Amino acid sequence: MPTPTKGPRLGGGPAHERLMLANMSVSLFTHKSIKTTETKAKRLRPVAERLITFAKRGDLHARRRALSILRNKEAVHILFAEIAPLVAEREGGYTRITKLGYRKGDNAPLAQIELVLEPVNKKPAKAKPAKAEAPKAAAPVAAEVVEEVVVDEVTEEVVVDAAGEAEVETVVEETVVEVAEEAPAAEATEEEAK
Amino acid sequence: MAVPKRKMSRASTRMRRAQWKATAATLVKSVDANGKVSYSLPHRAKVVEDSAGTPLFMEYKGRKVADV
Repeated sequence: MPTPTKGPRLGGGPAHERLMLANMSVSLFTHKSIKTTETKAKRLRPVAERLITFAKRGDLHARRRALSILRNKEAVHILFAEIAPLVAEREGGYTRITKLGYRKGDNAPLAQIELVLEPVNKKPAKAKPAKAEAPKAAAPVAAEVVEEVVVDEVTEEVVVDAAGEAEVETVVEETVVEVAEEAPAAEATEEEAK
Repeated sequence: MAVPKRKMSRASTRMRRAQWKATAATLVKSVDANGKVSYSLPHRAKVVEDSAGTPLFMEYKGRKVADV
């Protein structure tokens, strides 16, 4: 059961908030990922995860309970038929909220809420403290590798250009004999960059 | 409706406005493989740009999260 929300309701009142959350849930289940304000995303998370729990149960009573909230048969069908099998192994945490930037116009903080549909890769159970630390150490390295790859793709041209220009400048300043030595070096750096 | 009784003096206007300051944003510095430095907000997705400075997509923790 989600904890009750503190503070004022979204929209004009409790009924308006229920409608807004239902509509946002429908959008989330049909599109798998939606972009809203941070506040709305945080309020949507418990509602959507509870609906996914109904979908995982999968019987007629659960379907009727989901329909009583969503009021959209297509979305409920998608939820029960497509989303439920993908999150069957996952024990909670079906959504992911990523903070984006600030909206142009009213400067509202935006966030993206998406369904976590990737297959679960479970952490090994707490057998030894040393083993528990090993996957933690491995995970950031993998993340860094991915990041570096992305960065390299983006800035590859910059590297080549900058390296080429730098080498040219040094060559101009130095003597002709050293030019011959610099040329293979320049090629080597370019190859490294690639 | 309540209305001001007296004109507000230039000094008190300026004293009020003197307290109206901007705060510097907390930024995270990241350096690329080729030494290109970029700053971004902590705990927020970052816009990835190509070499010409055109925004491509938003990235968070090495994963593409959204279009710009």
